[in-house]
Amino acid sequence: MTSTLGLSADLPLALAVVAFVVAAAGLVLLVLEARRRRAKGWPAVVATGLASALLALAALLRPVVVRSRGSSVGPKVVVLVDRSRSMLLPGDGGGTRDAAAAKALEGLARATRQARVSLFGFGEGAPSAFEGVAASPARAGRSDLVRAARELFAASDERPRALVVVSDGRLTGGGAEALRRVLEGGDSVGALPPVHAVSVARREPRDASLRAIRFAGTAVAHQPFQLTIEVGCGGGLSCESLPVTVRELLDGAPPTLLATGAARVTDGQGSLATTVTLDRAGPRLVEVTLGAPAGDELPENDRRVFAVDVARERVRVLHVAGRPTYDVRALRTWLKANASVDVVAFFILRSNQDDVMAGESELALIKFPVDELFTEHLPSFDAVILQDFNAIPYGLSQYLGNLAKYVESGGGLVMVGGPDAFLGGGYDGTPLERALPVDLDGAAEQPAFDLGDVVPRVTAAGAAAPVLGPLRALLDELPPMPGANLVGAPKPGSLVLWEHPTRRTRAGQPMPLLTLGETGDGRAVAIALDGAHRLGFSEAAAKVAGRGHGALWDGLLGWLMRDPRFEPARVETAGACVAGEPTSLRVMPLPGTQGTVTVEVTSTEAGRPVERRSAELPPGDRGVELAVGPLPAGGYLAKVRVGSGSTTRHAFACEKGGDEWADSRPDEGLLRGLAEATGGTFRRADEVDALPLPPPTHVSAERSVAPVLPAWLWTLGAAVALGAHWIARRRAGLA
Amino acid sequence: MVRSALTLVARVLARAAPALGALGLVAAFPSTEARAFGDEGAFHPRVLLTGTSRWEGARKTGPRQWSWELGRRTSAPARLTPATVRADASALLAEPFAIWAGQGPVSPLSGPEIEGLRKFLLVGGILLVDDAAPETGQFGREARRELGRVLPEGVALPLPEGHVVYHSFYLLDRAFGRVEGPKTLDAIVRGGTAQVLFSSHDLLGALARDPGGAPTFPVVPRGEWQRERVTRLSVNIAMYVLCSTYKDDQVHAPALMRRRSGDRGP
Repeated sequence: MTSTLGLSADLPLALAVVAFVVAAAGLVLLVLEARRRRAKGWPAVVATGLASALLALAALLRPVVVRSRGSSVGPKVVVLVDRSRSMLLPGDGGGTRDAAAAKALEGLARATRQARVSLFGFGEGAPSAFEGVAASPARAGRSDLVRAARELFAASDERPRALVVVSDGRLTGGGAEALRRVLEGGDSVGALPPVHAVSVARREPRDASLRAIRFAGTAVAHQPFQLTIEVGCGGGLSCESLPVTVRELLDGAPPTLLATGAARVTDGQGSLATTVTLDRAGPRLVEVTLGAPAGDELPENDRRVFAVDVARERVRVLHVAGRPTYDVRALRTWLKANASVDVVAFFILRSNQDDVMAGESELALIKFPVDELFTEHLPSFDAVILQDFNAIPYGLSQYLGNLAKYVESGGGLVMVGGPDAFLGGGYDGTPLERALPVDLDGAAEQPAFDLGDVVPRVTAAGAAAPVLGPLRALLDELPPMPGANLVGAPKPGSLVLWEHPTRRTRAGQPMPLLTLGETGDGRAVAIALDGAHRLGFSEAAAKVAGRGHGALWDGLLGWLMRDPRFEPARVETAGACVAGEPTSLRVMPLPGTQGTVTVEVTSTEAGRPVERRSAELPPGDRGVELAVGPLPAGGYLAKVRVGSGSTTRHAFACEKGGDEWADSRPDEGLLRGLAEATGGTFRRADEVDALPLPPPTHVSAERSVAPVLPAWLWTLGAAVALGAHWIARRRAGLA
Repeated sequence: MVRSALTLVARVLARAAPALGALGLVAAFPSTEARAFGDEGAFHPRVLLTGTSRWEGARKTGPRQWSWELGRRTSAPARLTPATVRADASALLAEPFAIWAGQGPVSPLSGPEIEGLRKFLLVGGILLVDDAAPETGQFGREARRELGRVLPEGVALPLPEGHVVYHSFYLLDRAFGRVEGPKTLDAIVRGGTAQVLFSSHDLLGALARDPGGAPTFPVVPRGEWQRERVTRLSVNIAMYVLCSTYKDDQVHAPALMRRRSGDRGP
């Protein structure tokens, strides 16, 4: 219970002030009058005057006694603890920064006994409840304090009276000024809450690292782009020049060296600007490695792996045909008419058996540049189409290994049927056979062709495949086609879209006619027909103005180039993949897709699948999330199949520290800046006991008000005192 | 199937003829099935018939000779028993090439014939109009008149010397036929493609053979040299049909430019 004196609440404050002023002025005049006249007995005059003035004031203001019962409430203090991965880096005393944070929090608990403390962890998004360093591990790939403060202020009804930030200072998403703006934005009535910064580390580790990797512009296939690699070296390591290597990581093929160089280090930092060219479009994995000197404490940040989404300006296609036919004509016409395709064509117009009846100078023929095409220029193409082409007579046989590697490294391949394709072209048993999506299990007694007209039968997968969507939209049924190449069974993982209605493979399956498959990083299409031109030129085709042929190739080339329109699903990593920690992939299939989602994750380092997961798609096109971790650090390619459809691919990298470990130095300067900008204080982890926090607030629960004396008594006293004053004045000879 | 087999035999004969003559040997070829299978997409110089016309007379062997020469000289497969196709038949849309040849008056095209030809050209077909009597030019003029009804927006213009049809296989500096005629072919070009070619030279007349294999018509004024150029032009036209602008691709241009100073005739 507490008691305080006050004035009656029914008088305005201004009137009370006027009364005080009038009373004080009267007293002053009285003293001056008494002294000027040197009146006898003036002290009695002054004393009675003072008494009458005070009593008159009391009669007017009627003082009261306020008695209240209540409690003391501590100030609201929010403690934000850095939960980014940089807190796992070495701290000052041999432990991690997170361990130092744990000690700081113990000290804070003592220092904030009188306060109402809310503990949150901050990292990538909204702050989350912090339950201790073990229960709330430091996993975030960012340490965005500004975002955390914004979210906190937006969600909280009661503004905190102070913020305490426990961090190593390696923050992302804005510094002191940005934080100050956030705090001011929420402050409409009160003062800016101070931010007290608690540093958990000051020692700089002995570390050379890749601090940042930046692109200039957009990565476009076949076009060089600049890569700026920033390196750092500190903690006493001796670094003058740090070697850097840039490679592209591939599935099923060795990495491709993109660039090498050395970054010269001055004052602990340096950079290297280099130019790299990625030939394949789509998500590609790039690895940058740093040759760190001996004594480097953190080898994990000497290597960065990241996915680059390589755009494509135009699809570069190499079209090689063994002889000109209407099928070749149809394909060339489509390729040339397609503004997004840049085609380089080589057709064999004359064989060794042909008698041209003219000298070389009279011919518009050039030698088929097989050497240049399939060695030097091969990587510059996005896709190679071998149409009815016999590898043996034109010297391609020796380059089939190159071509297979090209596909495994991400290139696209289409083999189109005809007498000189598949078995007829001598591809059986060659290195290229391994890149094809069908087996070529030819035998001496087996013919290479089936001569009967065939209407390809669309398989269940073909009826649903997005790749055939444009053709399905035009034609309900396929026209008869003249004969087919004999091929073997589809390879595991391949997808048969059209099959022969009567022919069987040796294993007894329907013989595939149109098959899609993946080999390493690349894709391949096998069309065991040479009559696809009938989709453009036939009675049936004329009903849709011959657009069927283009629709087929639009889908096939689009699928080959991983055009999202023809992919069965969209795949993304749910959050960042952190090495050694749970990771999951989010698979969003095309609307209406049903069945089982199968994910196979291949490590580019190991060159083999390391995870296989499957799950049933829930109803309602909601997609599914599949756990695929924990995975070691490195580059990964996830092949995702939905139902019995084709696969799609997602490239992703898992890193131990990622951006958070790129620069391992703690930043106390930034923490000091935060504190100064907001009127807070800076403390180290072992100094938090002295943190200045706001005082508690008293909250009343019960309150009573009673007058000191009744008003009539004050009035009576004032009248008596005034009478005594009059008598005293008369005796003193005053008027 | 029968047609394929016939094509095969003819092609083998075509290829083997020089070897037989020179060496008395038959060259080795891939399996017979292979050629039959692939020949479905072979060049096929079909003869277009309109009204009540029929394909008969001394030029009847011209298309076959065209195919034979193409098969002998190039890797392109060709049908050695060319068929006829009526302008109003749905079969016109089965393949992308036809020849409209004749002499004398042309009867007006019927509605279905106009529609058939229009569809044929709409889906990318190529039509060669060959005037067998360029001396009078009546067929050429009246065919142009009728094609004007099929493609009202189409205008036939001379194909300049640099057009790909003059260097799609052989390097030629002008058009040839049974008669010397104008230096160029005319064409209605649509979407960058010369879809209707006009020859005022009697191309099929120079190609035609009698039952003994001898040329049916004399070629004037340059005799057999000119007949060889007619064959070369026909090969070029076939290659243009099969490969369109292939020889205009940038990759071929430098080599062809170097050779341009070549053959200019005797």
